[in-house]
Amino acid sequence: MKNKTLKVSCLIAAFYFGNSAMAQSVNDTVPKEQKIEEVVLIGYGTAKKVDLTSAISTVKAADIVKTPTGQAAQSLQGKVAGVQISSFGSPGEAPKVTIRGIKSLQGDSQPLYVVDGLFVDNIDFLNSNDIQDFTVLKDASASAIYGVKAANGVIVITTKGGSYNKKPKLTYDTYYGVQMANNVLKMANAEQFVNFVNESGSASEIASVNAAIQRFGRSRTNPNLPDVNTDWYKETLRLANIQNHSLSIDGGSEKVAYSLGGNFFTQNGILKMKNSYERFNIRAKIDAKANNWLTVGGFINYSRSERYDDEASAWSQIYYAVPILPKYDYAYTDASPYPYGDAQQLGYRDHQNPFATLDNADRLTVGRRITFNTYAEAALLPKELTFKSALSYSSQNDRERNMSLPYYVRDAFSRTLEQSSMERNTTLYENYVWDNTLTWNKSFGKHDITLMGGTSFADEWFNKERIKGNFYAGSPFNRYDETTWYIANLNPETITVSDYDKNDVALQPKRYYRTSYFGRLSYKFDDKYIVYGTIRNEGSNKFPYEKTINLPAFGASWIVSKESFMKDISWINLLKLRGGWGRLANDGINANRASVPASVYGIFEDQLYTGYVFSTFLDKVKREFTEETNIGLSSEFLNRKLTLEADYFIKDTKNLVIPVLPIVGTAVSYTNVGSMRNKGYEISMGWRDKVGENWGYYINGNFSHIKNEITDLFKQPFINRGEPEFQQRLAVGQPIDVFYGWVLDGVYQNDAEVAADPTTQGNNIKPGYFRFKDLNGDGKIDADDRVYLGSPVPTYYFGASFGANFKNWDLSVAIYGQGGNKILARNRGEVIKTPGRNIDAEVAINRWHGEGTTNEFPSSEGYRQLWNQRMSDFWLEDGDFVRIQNIQLGYTLKADNLPEMRFSVTADRPFTWSKSKNLMNPEVGPNGVDTTTYPTPSVFTFGYSIKF
Amino acid sequence: MKRLIYIKFLLLAGALVFTSCDRKLDEKMEMDASDSFDYTSPEGAKGALIGAYTSFSDMGWEQIPLLSVLGDDVNAGGLGDQAAYADTDKYVYDNNFWMYNSLWSVWYEHILQITVQIDQLEKFKAGGVNPQLIDQYQAECKVMSAFLHLEISKVWGKVILVETPDQTQLKLQSKDEMMQWISSQMDAAIPYLPDMRPNQRTDIRGGITKYTALAIKAMANLELKNYQAVADATGAIINSGKFNLYSDFNNLFKIPGKLADENLLEIQYSDLGVSSGGNSKNHLWAFYGPQGWTPKVAGAGDGWGFYEPSMKYIKFMLARGEHKRLQTSVLFTNRGITEIKKDPAFATLPSWVSNTTIEGDVINDYTRAMFASGKHYLPSEQLTPGRKDYGSNKNYIVTRYAEILLMYAEAVTRGASPSAGTADNAVNLVRNRAGMSPLSGVTADQVMDEKYAELGMEWGIRYFDMVRLGNTAALSYDGRTFTMEKQFLPYPLAQLDKIHSLE
Repeated sequence: MKNKTLKVSCLIAAFYFGNSAMAQSVNDTVPKEQKIEEVVLIGYGTAKKVDLTSAISTVKAADIVKTPTGQAAQSLQGKVAGVQISSFGSPGEAPKVTIRGIKSLQGDSQPLYVVDGLFVDNIDFLNSNDIQDFTVLKDASASAIYGVKAANGVIVITTKGGSYNKKPKLTYDTYYGVQMANNVLKMANAEQFVNFVNESGSASEIASVNAAIQRFGRSRTNPNLPDVNTDWYKETLRLANIQNHSLSIDGGSEKVAYSLGGNFFTQNGILKMKNSYERFNIRAKIDAKANNWLTVGGFINYSRSERYDDEASAWSQIYYAVPILPKYDYAYTDASPYPYGDAQQLGYRDHQNPFATLDNADRLTVGRRITFNTYAEAALLPKELTFKSALSYSSQNDRERNMSLPYYVRDAFSRTLEQSSMERNTTLYENYVWDNTLTWNKSFGKHDITLMGGTSFADEWFNKERIKGNFYAGSPFNRYDETTWYIANLNPETITVSDYDKNDVALQPKRYYRTSYFGRLSYKFDDKYIVYGTIRNEGSNKFPYEKTINLPAFGASWIVSKESFMKDISWINLLKLRGGWGRLANDGINANRASVPASVYGIFEDQLYTGYVFSTFLDKVKREFTEETNIGLSSEFLNRKLTLEADYFIKDTKNLVIPVLPIVGTAVSYTNVGSMRNKGYEISMGWRDKVGENWGYYINGNFSHIKNEITDLFKQPFINRGEPEFQQRLAVGQPIDVFYGWVLDGVYQNDAEVAADPTTQGNNIKPGYFRFKDLNGDGKIDADDRVYLGSPVPTYYFGASFGANFKNWDLSVAIYGQGGNKILARNRGEVIKTPGRNIDAEVAINRWHGEGTTNEFPSSEGYRQLWNQRMSDFWLEDGDFVRIQNIQLGYTLKADNLPEMRFSVTADRPFTWSKSKNLMNPEVGPNGVDTTTYPTPSVFTFGYSIKF
Repeated sequence: MKRLIYIKFLLLAGALVFTSCDRKLDEKMEMDASDSFDYTSPEGAKGALIGAYTSFSDMGWEQIPLLSVLGDDVNAGGLGDQAAYADTDKYVYDNNFWMYNSLWSVWYEHILQITVQIDQLEKFKAGGVNPQLIDQYQAECKVMSAFLHLEISKVWGKVILVETPDQTQLKLQSKDEMMQWISSQMDAAIPYLPDMRPNQRTDIRGGITKYTALAIKAMANLELKNYQAVADATGAIINSGKFNLYSDFNNLFKIPGKLADENLLEIQYSDLGVSSGGNSKNHLWAFYGPQGWTPKVAGAGDGWGFYEPSMKYIKFMLARGEHKRLQTSVLFTNRGITEIKKDPAFATLPSWVSNTTIEGDVINDYTRAMFASGKHYLPSEQLTPGRKDYGSNKNYIVTRYAEILLMYAEAVTRGASPSAGTADNAVNLVRNRAGMSPLSGVTADQVMDEKYAELGMEWGIRYFDMVRLGNTAALSYDGRTFTMEKQFLPYPLAQLDKIHSLE
């Protein structure tokens, strides 16, 4: 059984490489008929792709390694319809993967990764070069058999393994490159900023400009400006390198197949601070035929990473630091360790200098992770009945060291040695899964039956210890010498050691057990009609109200092209209709909160009695259920040159955990009484062909549309989310966290316009202020004039790729885009709290400054007024963007007396066209709030590989 | 070959047996945060009960006056301050008035808190604390919850029943359903409650006992006009022989009356006998007090003048020749006395009618009202030395034996068969203490008058009696017109969405 699977896998690989227009080992010895027998992984087994009833997509190694990244999942962006990936620029930060929308208000919507049978929440420990393929199980009818962890979809990963009867092959693969920020946000320069301030009518801000002129001198080009013009993004961003080295050897004898490998990856961050990621891992995978009925095998992977995290709070400081402040003010000798320019000296509220933050944080995490899997597979009845037992184990140990280093800008903005602290966190996470399956296959006549039954037991354990303290005055601590960064130098009185804190989710030890029983039946008649069903019974100790649940799924497909009436239509190679339904359960939601007693005093007979009142919320959280119906079409035309897949799905989260606002009392409880729907469609098309002997090309495209909608809030009209000033809501009929506010209707251009509008009466409105739509026509702008302003969640995304090869040359281009969402420019919005800060160039240049100048931006003075600051579409940006995802040009050198070599140059994410000019990174995460996150860098690399 | 197959299946069976780990599902997640409290000690359980009492006792100054002001015994003072409160007194209701919302939301918050305490107490049973004790504590909580439900339902009619902290399980109940629920809750609680007077309890002195529950059962049945049940419940209290009227009517409402044998439920306050600070807990009595006085103990604070006994009540009492009860219930100002005398029928008043109280505090004229409530007054000489706040250290009586006797008398005069003596006997006990001559062959109307005289200014008892009897004439006084459509306050605006969501 295993042997057969492996054989088929080899064929698939051959099929893939042979047709991918990559000039790699084209093995033309495989007969054409066998090529179509592509096999894909399904829950606890495999199936021929043609027999699938559900939406499953596979991405292969060659496409994965094109993306230079430390995070393998990043390479899926734009490749698979229905899978949305938000990437982050910070080195070592995993991208956010969402399969067919957000299904829950809690948790991170991340899919389950099944790596060679092991369930993991992230694949940080894998290098792209270790992966043979990704299989994305998109709809519930495919993923339900994986149980409660599969609520957000499943990505099954097969790591590279060896092959029987194959000579050892040594492969070395490397790339080196450089990253740079692109689409850097344009902020107002000193001239634009000073202009804006001068029009603000704010005496204190004008005084600050004059203070800057006093302190730093006048600009020689414009005497109205200080002689400072700091571009803070230019100051804080840098070019950063990235490199990867992979070495692997694989092969096999008649009885043993093996693969060994090691990788080393490093990436520096583009933010000018200690910000980098470095990882090595070694792995081994082996399969051995013990005898003619027993196969055993396993893999092991050890990875170690060192990550210096960015200091996220710096991003907003970089945004708002005024351009008339220099990075260093050498006349200001009080500052330490560097002569930081201090905006408070100019009269601003804060010191504003981001370097005081960047220089004085040091956030190191050293992660170690071991994963292994071992299995034994016994053919109880040859080719008919197979038993497999697999034990998987994963252990993750993270040691964090977060330093707050001393600095001084001024008394209010300083950290003395005694205030400087060190925090060490040690996290241990262990997880093991033991699966046993029994699979029975039988073909007789026109009937093919596969019946599988199995059990799974999982044990997951997490705990964290934290030691935290401040240095003592006179301690030997030295900021430049890490050998002094130890607990011994902390003041013992400040040291806290904790391994449990009921108010801190990160500090709650957990131990979950899960036991599951599952089965799958597939039945095919006459190679045309397929029915498929799975059931999983799963129990866990996480939810005392509901220990076990059943997760059924079924599907059916009809291969229309095999019907006799289609026989004569030669241009249709495959036409298959399929449909399925499945139920998923999500246990990634927070368990019931503890009732926290508060002490109170009662009086009885003039005496005090101590008592307790307990929290009045009552959480009754159970798992959430998501039911999904999927119908789809798979087809191949014109000698399989053209492929088309289309799917339509409706996915309902039936018992969504929502905050239940109290009908009596004031405490919010969480209960499964809401519901949410995601529905959408996905289309993927592909075309590949060869022209003559030397030319080959392909073009692929996919498009996904998804609509998210809250369908029930337990009769609550809405639930407020977001900040009060920038309101977002949950509301029936609206997407999750929809923006809510007033609608802009232009800018008052003159006094006559102001006077003519009844809504301005008594509000001290001036020309240059916003005109809002009086939607209910009552002559007032008030709470009743608010409407829903758009979804923070993208409603469509697409990807396309094009590739061509000519002789030994190959070129590929991939693009990615998404949109339909709104993004709250929250950094710009910060003006409502603190006006004395820099503004983006859009606001500065386009400000209203006289009749007819603009109908979209307020005047500088108006920008500071509450009337204009209310939540409106002014603060919302369009999230639509299109990006060149990847361009790669490669050359493969094949000569008789040389090992095979390949050279490539890659530009990853070199260009982005964003509809909004005010976003550094349109991938802001699901709540749609942009606080200027880490920009996604463009990466340019040179790669080289050699095979012996 | 056969043997090989056996071996294979043996392996398989072994593996399957091994994986049956279902019992693991019963294991706790390590350090389940919901178990962070120690549920094993009786002290902890008592703490949970104290918590319920504390919540019950947390009366704002605005809530009780709002439900009382509707009656013809008391009027709103304040003169322009809290205009909607004065409008409410005149049966002009404004559902946006904050006091309505406060009465509703604060008392429901307390009901919810008490319900949570009942839930939490259950965990102490599982924790091994004596189950009889927990049953008793839970029964005490049920009595508190029932009383608050009773008052809220009397004010609004159809209201929310809170039997569980689960907000998704709340339901609206008509007033009759609510009263029946209260009655049956009390039946369920009574067997677990101590068979003694509240002031006989040694664990929590003044705490709830069986007789408190019987009193609340009687009140609920009175609303239902189920007079037999009223007579039975009050009769049981009378027959226990444990209660008697406090001899000094005036001091019943003052420091000496704290934890008197007459009281079936009282909210306890204290300044703990110290002159300042010390976690003292006090009601904000100033709301009721006269604004401007010359206290016997100089420096004692005055009141806000929001709670004025009605001229109707005063004249009713004068006409009956009441002395003790009127003098205790009403603080006169000279302006008020002049106003009474303008009525030719009351041109001459007994000499004790004066702006000086029995204890020697002089009530000066103030614009907000002509009279203040004497039952909500504490003589300055009874203040703990050093304390200045009006009424500091005074308890708030919720129900007392006189009300039980009069409920009994009313029920019997309305046809219930007596189980604890005649109505005459019950009424005359009350009259005797008040220095009034005995009656014989009392009628229901005479009982109602007696209730008016005895219980005026207390808890809106008069108003709810008149509403129950449909006596719109009594409530249409001093220029007001009361109709039965006015019997319930409108739901607070702020609560409307939530209330409608239950329909």
